[in-house]
Amino acid sequence: MVRAALTPTRRIGQGPSPIAAYVPAATVVGATLLAALPIVSTSGWYPDFGYLVFISWRLLRADPWPAWWAAPLGFVNDLFTGYPIGFSIALWSATMLALDLIDRRTMWRDYWVEWVLGAVLIAIDEWLQWRVAKLLDAAPPFARMVPALVISICLFPVIAWIISRVDARRLGR
Amino acid sequence: MATARPGWSRRAQYGLFFSFLAVIAGIIVGLILLALSLVAPSAFANVRGAALDVTGPIAGALHEVTATTSGVVTGAGNYWDAASQNAQLKRQNKAMLQRMVEARAIFQENLQLKATLQLREHERATIATGRIVGSSFNSPRRFAILSIGSGDGVRVGMPVRSADGLVGRIIDTGALASRVLLVSDRANIVPARLMRNGIPVIAQGRGDGTIDVRPLEVGRNPFKRGDIIITSGTGGLYPPLVPIGRVVKLDDDGAVALPVADPSTTSFAIVEAPFEPAAVAAESTATAPPGTP
Repeated sequence: MVRAALTPTRRIGQGPSPIAAYVPAATVVGATLLAALPIVSTSGWYPDFGYLVFISWRLLRADPWPAWWAAPLGFVNDLFTGYPIGFSIALWSATMLALDLIDRRTMWRDYWVEWVLGAVLIAIDEWLQWRVAKLLDAAPPFARMVPALVISICLFPVIAWIISRVDARRLGR
Repeated sequence: MATARPGWSRRAQYGLFFSFLAVIAGIIVGLILLALSLVAPSAFANVRGAALDVTGPIAGALHEVTATTSGVVTGAGNYWDAASQNAQLKRQNKAMLQRMVEARAIFQENLQLKATLQLREHERATIATGRIVGSSFNSPRRFAILSIGSGDGVRVGMPVRSADGLVGRIIDTGALASRVLLVSDRANIVPARLMRNGIPVIAQGRGDGTIDVRPLEVGRNPFKRGDIIITSGTGGLYPPLVPIGRVVKLDDDGAVALPVADPSTTSFAIVEAPFEPAAVAAESTATAPPGTP
């Protein structure tokens, strides 16, 4: 939620940055590119950074990017993280649609509701990854996915906080 | 997407409607691509290779930095308790020298025996040597990124090993980098045997950095803690006598092993030609290997 609006601290002459419309998508691509870091993980407990940043933006704002951008952003994520091509395209587009439907239903939102929503979305992401791996006969027992899931859910508030800071900065607040 | 009710503006209503259509189209396109990449894994080889070429060099450059930093830290640790370490190393060195002489003698004897049997030797063709610069870190699959690609002669399906042991096999190649299916991935099944007594076993990754080993013949559990598992060369892809893992835990009909070549500390990886290319080719035309995305 954006509480910044309640305390006007804007100075004269300060406004949204000229690239404000592209900042959200750029941060998602940046998070996806974390896959290029020289981290060699043998357990796979790192979170899906691209998706975390993606849902953080979407939960913070209804329109961080035009809805159809979800597909190309997902495509970039698939390419760099090594998921089967099409996985993130479908999941991220479906996330946009699902959150739009949820937005019509919810009466109010606060930090806890957002965390629960984020946790559910992360759980769906991890479960689908496991399901797709199972289709390829490459899935470990689901119990071994749980640590990764818990780590991602615990990390979500941190990512959401960083994104809210980035949002305030790009709008010149 | 915009708010639920955009007001009376026709234009805003249409905009909302079309953005819904676009998202649904996105889902459908995604599902079709996903189905395609599950059914025909090689369909996106080119795009995947191009993406590897973008990230591979970045990861390679950053790898130098992290390797240097961690090298400084562990290097400092080596000076701790140096005197007793030195004495211990001297003792080990002496013991190793004796073993080496024995091994040389065995090697000579082996050569003579092979000459009398007129065994045909396979030459181990090293295609290229590179660094492991990254990995998949957030999925049930275990991949690593290697800093060499098709420009160095690397092709899909080639086995990858390090000085310590088996690392995996190539599944994607770009011009500058390639992706390795690690031995700890669930889809990587390696025909192997126990080094202690030569009992044939099957090694399959567990997806969490360890390997499952099962004996081919059901019955008594042949494993002991500390056993070394080596490749058997059956199937023709992996060369024989390459260490795969060390048994750390026994379970009811098999054991869990840790890979000998830990990809997170392996500095150099060697890509070799398939051990018996003819056998591999015959097999891959019959059935595509499962588990390659």
